Amino acid sequence: MAMDQEQSHKSHRSHKAGASAKKKNKKGNSEEDGKNKNPKAFAFNSAVKAKRLQSRAAEKEQRRLHVPTIDRSTGEQPPFVVVVQGPPKVGKSLLIKCLVKHYTKHNLSEVRGPITVVSGKSRRVQFIECPNDINGMIDAAKIADLALMLVDGSYGFEMETFEFLNVLQNHGFPKVMGVLTHIDKFKDVKKLRKTKQRLKHRFWTEIRDGAKLFYLSGLIHGKYPKRETHNLARFISVMKTQQLSWRSSHPYILVDRFEDVTPPERVHANMKCDRNITLYGYLRGSNMKRGTKVHITGVGDFALTGVASLADPCPLPSSGKKKGLRDKEKLFYAPMSGLGELLYDKDAVYVNINDHLVQFSKVDEETGSSGKGKPNDVGVTLVKTLQQTKYSIDEKLEQSFINLFSRKKPPASDNGHAKGNVPDGQHHDGHSGGHVSILEEDANHSGDEVSEDDEAGKNNLTGDSDSDGFDEGNDYATDDDLEDDEQMNPFSHDLNEEVELHNGRLRRKVTSSSFGNNDHLQDSGDDLQEFDDDSDNDDVHDDKLHSSSESSEGDDDLNSGDEADHSSKWKESLLARAMSRKNGNLMQLVYGPSLPVLSTTSRDADDSSENDEEFFMPKGERTKNLGDNLSGDNLNAEDSSKFTNTHLKDWSDEDLIKSVRDRFVTGDWSKAAQRGEGEGMGDDGTVFGDFEDLETGEVFKDIPGDNNNGGSKNIIKGNDPEMEERRLKKLALRAKFDAQANGSDLSDEEDHNKKKFHQNQAGEAGGYFDKLKTEIELRKQMNISELADLDDATRIEVEGFKIGTYMRLEIHDVPFEMVEHFDPCHPIIVGGVGLGEDNVGYMQVRFKRHRWHRKILKTRDPIIISVGWRRYQTVPVYTIEDRNGRYRMLKYTPEHMFCLAMFWGPLVPPQTGVLALQTLNNQAGFRIAATGTVQEFNHETKIMKKIKLVGHPLKIFKKTALIKDMFTSDLEIAKFEGAAIRTVSGIRGQVKKAAKAELGDKPKQRWESGKEGVARCTFEDRILMSDIVFLRAWTHVEVPQFYNPVTTSLQPRDQTWKGMKTIAELRRKNNLPIPHNRDSDYKAIERRPRKFNPLVIPARLQAALPFESKPKNKPPRKRPLLENRRAVVMEPHERKVHALVQNLREIKSEKTRKLKLKEQEKRKAYEAEKLKDEQLSKKRQREERRERYRLQDKKRRKS
Amino acid sequence: MGKAAYMKLKGSFHFRQRLLLATLSTKAILIEDIRSDETSPGLRSHEVSLLRLIEKISDDCSVEINETVWIDFSDNFGLLVRVGTKLRYKPGVLVGGKYLVHDCGLSRSIGYFLEPLILLGLFGKKALSITLKGITNDSKDPSVDTFRTTTLHMLKRFGVSLEGLELKIVNRGAPPLGGGEIILGVPIVPTGLTATHWVDEGMVKSIRGVTFSTRVSPQIGSRMIYAARGIFNRFIPDVHIFTDHRSGPSGGRSPGYGVSLVAETTTGCLISTDIAISHPKPEDMDTMEDSYEKPEMLPPEDVGVQVASILLGEIEQGGVVDSTHQGLVFLLCALCPPDVSKVRVGKLTPYGIETLRNIRDFLDVKFVIKPDPTTNTVILKCVGCGMKNLSRKVA
Repeated sequence: MAMDQEQSHKSHRSHKAGASAKKKNKKGNSEEDGKNKNPKAFAFNSAVKAKRLQSRAAEKEQRRLHVPTIDRSTGEQPPFVVVVQGPPKVGKSLLIKCLVKHYTKHNLSEVRGPITVVSGKSRRVQFIECPNDINGMIDAAKIADLALMLVDGSYGFEMETFEFLNVLQNHGFPKVMGVLTHIDKFKDVKKLRKTKQRLKHRFWTEIRDGAKLFYLSGLIHGKYPKRETHNLARFISVMKTQQLSWRSSHPYILVDRFEDVTPPERVHANMKCDRNITLYGYLRGSNMKRGTKVHITGVGDFALTGVASLADPCPLPSSGKKKGLRDKEKLFYAPMSGLGELLYDKDAVYVNINDHLVQFSKVDEETGSSGKGKPNDVGVTLVKTLQQTKYSIDEKLEQSFINLFSRKKPPASDNGHAKGNVPDGQHHDGHSGGHVSILEEDANHSGDEVSEDDEAGKNNLTGDSDSDGFDEGNDYATDDDLEDDEQMNPFSHDLNEEVELHNGRLRRKVTSSSFGNNDHLQDSGDDLQEFDDDSDNDDVHDDKLHSSSESSEGDDDLNSGDEADHSSKWKESLLARAMSRKNGNLMQLVYGPSLPVLSTTSRDADDSSENDEEFFMPKGERTKNLGDNLSGDNLNAEDSSKFTNTHLKDWSDEDLIKSVRDRFVTGDWSKAAQRGEGEGMGDDGTVFGDFEDLETGEVFKDIPGDNNNGGSKNIIKGNDPEMEERRLKKLALRAKFDAQANGSDLSDEEDHNKKKFHQNQAGEAGGYFDKLKTEIELRKQMNISELADLDDATRIEVEGFKIGTYMRLEIHDVPFEMVEHFDPCHPIIVGGVGLGEDNVGYMQVRFKRHRWHRKILKTRDPIIISVGWRRYQTVPVYTIEDRNGRYRMLKYTPEHMFCLAMFWGPLVPPQTGVLALQTLNNQAGFRIAATGTVQEFNHETKIMKKIKLVGHPLKIFKKTALIKDMFTSDLEIAKFEGAAIRTVSGIRGQVKKAAKAELGDKPKQRWESGKEGVARCTFEDRILMSDIVFLRAWTHVEVPQFYNPVTTSLQPRDQTWKGMKTIAELRRKNNLPIPHNRDSDYKAIERRPRKFNPLVIPARLQAALPFESKPKNKPPRKRPLLENRRAVVMEPHERKVHALVQNLREIKSEKTRKLKLKEQEKRKAYEAEKLKDEQLSKKRQREERRERYRLQDKKRRKS
Repeated sequence: MGKAAYMKLKGSFHFRQRLLLATLSTKAILIEDIRSDETSPGLRSHEVSLLRLIEKISDDCSVEINETVWIDFSDNFGLLVRVGTKLRYKPGVLVGGKYLVHDCGLSRSIGYFLEPLILLGLFGKKALSITLKGITNDSKDPSVDTFRTTTLHMLKRFGVSLEGLELKIVNRGAPPLGGGEIILGVPIVPTGLTATHWVDEGMVKSIRGVTFSTRVSPQIGSRMIYAARGIFNRFIPDVHIFTDHRSGPSGGRSPGYGVSLVAETTTGCLISTDIAISHPKPEDMDTMEDSYEKPEMLPPEDVGVQVASILLGEIEQGGVVDSTHQGLVFLLCALCPPDVSKVRVGKLTPYGIETLRNIRDFLDVKFVIKPDPTTNTVILKCVGCGMKNLSRKVA
């Protein structure tokens, strides 16, 4: 006992030495250290400063906030897209391989296409490697939820990184994380640290301070260290998606599987025929409706021929209370890399088993007898050949059939052999009849697919165990095969192969429904004809459901009867049942099969003339149909929203009055309340009573005590909007709480705000931001609850396919190049095109040349624009908006300023980011030429440029002149009548009219000889013949209507896409010089002095002039006057006087000279004295200073 | 993309909505067989006028009408008339603008033009302010009074601010000669509408209304009011009906009178009805009878009783809007962002049903329609198409 008590466990001993000890100490002390040492520094001592700090904090808080956006996605989220980007040879593929290995314990040999991995209980990650050309980078940036930017640490940043960052910024900035590789190349630790620091800071300036830069130190066995991969995976798993405005308003799919489903005979006939393709991927962004048009990046716009949702190929584990993932649930899915264990298709599930796990079981003699040991086994080789076939599995399976269970007689082979005698005329009839216009895209078809999917799901579930269900599946498969075989006669050898194969356990196909019918959408046209057959067909279907033994009989029926239409019919009946079960039949009445536009009979209801001229009546009016025409067959009915009720009730009747009494406030309020309650049952009850939260999968039951309707004594019960609001709020809160409890994927910020929200709910009313948040949350909850009670088929019709569903899109008539040059390494994005975004027009973009791009951009030089999903080449005109709202053309983009770019192209909504490139060449420097945002779009442009018309006087009258060379025709002059003109010397004038030769006059002068374009102009003063006359005006500039989609997916990826050339390129190519206008050269201006001729007044005129107007200024004399020319001879006395004066002057000047000299000497002496004094005093001062310093120093030392 | 794919339609049926939805969804349409089997084939003048109006407020839209020649024997001369039985319409960008004027003609009243115009105005580049001339009140279309009192207020439910949304009746004009003039101002929505949840119809708390009378005795107004009040007195005391008598140039060119009534409920729903009495248009008269004298107009007392009965009928039906406005409500719901809108209406009118179909065809929006048997109403839900005001310029 005592021993037990005394037994002590070894206590933890912290490290006394080493790096960790140091680290701990440092960390622990640093904070307290500062506070202890200088407590004052951490207290506020100035109220002003405190206030300033507070306001700054508040401002920072506000700046952090964004306008909250509604996240309309419900249910399971699509996988999180991680784009791994970096320059070549930086380790992108290796990183993906390591991460995949970390998540799934599988080794990837090759990274091709998106790789989907289940990374956690509620999270999947899809990795893509960003290709190394700019097109791929742009595409990848458009779909990235997280960009891992790999940087070669030993080399530093490369252009690709910065280009990619800029692309990201312009197409919505997702999360970005840097990853530094190759840092094991540094041998010097200090240098390594320095480099890390430097790169980190450079990275921060590009993104934000504190952006995460991850370091991967070196390789271990050719892989990144496990610990570091693990850490990186942790970082990835905590990343949140951001709502980006473009993406949240457009559905899009990152294609992770691509099949060519063109009928092979068509390909055989013409290798270059347009192909039919199917694209698979998770739906992201927003819900997708059936009628959505899509853009495939690098290919073009297409209408979807078939849209279907498939079972998730990489599903999240079923939610249970457990930690972490089981190994079984660590799925991954990468069909383009040829990996992934399970492949769910609309009509099949493929199980792929790894090579080392392959066991050829001995189920059948042929394959079973030869064991798996021998490498040259027939079965193995067959399997191998099958794996390496050119045609996809999907395609092959479409053509053929594998039977899994040998105990049954394989019907496929039977039918396959008997296919010769199947009458196929009917089949073709059915297909040829289908013409589908936009309007005819009817509900039947859309319903088909959905119900079919349901069926498919069911079969998937039951198929393996339940033999009945499986038989059913087989039956359908046979039908499919039949059809397909008919189409694919040349491929009949495949079938044989299949027969041999079908006992192997390599792939298992669980087929459930037809494929061909949906592929070719043609049966939509047949539907109307088939209605009558529906019932018996239904019977057949039911039979098959319940009795497996009769299946062969059913087959026969189908074969003989209407096998071609079979599948669509049974679906139809299902759909009809679903419809009738659900919404009464109001929806059917409105959206029902009788489409008003399809009916061809036109009746006229409003015209009620009853005259006897029936003979001359047009046919339409003879067949007129009076009466209430609800089905709307009337093609030309009166268009009036006013509903005129023909029979009026007599409202003096007491019973009638009673019936509406309670609709008025004067009526019985309690009865009204009861009515309200009834409404509550009608809408509120169903809506808010109990609903399933799709996110959490929890079913909320209506609690009567909770519900306001339950509290019966309220006067206005169900109707009170406030109460309803409150209830909704409560619901929203509850949903939020549940979401939080379940650890569902609400974003970080949201979490943060949620806390706030709760606080605010508890305390006072929140701020504006919180109000917005609440509103959005309410709206979201309302959306969820309102649609919760609909069945899936209706739901898809109403809101489209939900975000996160795995979609299969079928697209017809795709250029064959897409299939031929398909490269899984380049992401294929299918983006939904919004309302009106497939129209073309002029767009005005706020545009700025990128400061790292070498050249300025020139108007009308083609650039490649990436906006929305699209990339296209267009010809922009750069403009700037003048103060008066005029758009003035610019020849070049300004250096460091925004300008406007106008170009022609497919429209996108305002505020979409735009990116411009000039070249797609990999060798170029920084390729992003400019960036901007769309401001508006238009169908016309109003760009003006300055124009200066130059003319010369032809003939000058007084103040009028005839100006030539300015205009080319009289018509042009007519257009410019009244325009202001100006001469070089500044004389202003006006254009009057075209100069006309006067009637009757013979053309004397040249200008009268019928030459057009001479304008009569008046000036404020007489102009000179040497003057040049200008007309300054504005002229309209056309933006070229040119745009050229960049179809990089339709050519080999290693080729650079070639589009329209810039002018400079053309000149270089054709060896043309740059045009040079001599007049535009800057030269020194030489102005010769102007010589004026003397004014000559005729003698006669002069004589007539009055004196004051007569010219009086005489011309200057050529010779000097006599006065100046004559010699002077002095008198003797005069000479004496003159000499004396001269002497006296001499004396005076001598005297002053001497005086000056003396003065100078004196001054010199004084200067010398002064200098001496100064030096002395300086010396003394220096001494003093020195002494003082010495003392001071001494004093300091002492202290 | 370069070549626009035209959506093919047939008949003059729901011409307005087709044009409206085509413009909003920017889909080009091709309408064929416009009354091709009738005695007077082709587009009517009001339809052409509507096309002109849309051209006026939009930029670069193209309208092509084919020429069908037919011989009109109506006036015994055998006139060769060219009309269009085929129309190709390619919408442009809605621009709106100020000081626009449009003559609506005399074949339909202004109400016919107002319904599409208000929606087009909301999604324009600039706010719309337009003067419309023509017939203000007639029996076929909702009157301008109803529009002013009810329709404009409906937009409030969809997040449109009432600021700038106004309708001013300058002159009134009754058929057949018209002469009315109104000024309509519609603001633009900055981004889009907001989804509504509008199912609570409440109880009628007051009835308001306005009578109009042009070129008739001013007493007719009060006579109608008196008659209508006589019926309402059994239900509710809060009835105020105003009179708007116009004489001189503001009274238009034809005599006529009528009432527009609005019932307001406790939850702010407005249920309206209107009636207008005037001499019939000449073409209608021809078909009626050959006698050339003008038929008697319905006495004002009967008008009052009739309009009150219609209103009570509407109230009896239930729903948050009256039957006239069903189509507009559905359109507004469908144009909302992709959130769930929910409205309750009374019995679905044929017009409403056609609207639903058109919405399905153009906007790809389907409604969930559920009858509410306890109140004999219908509840409609839809997820909006996510329409945004794209033509607006961002600064």
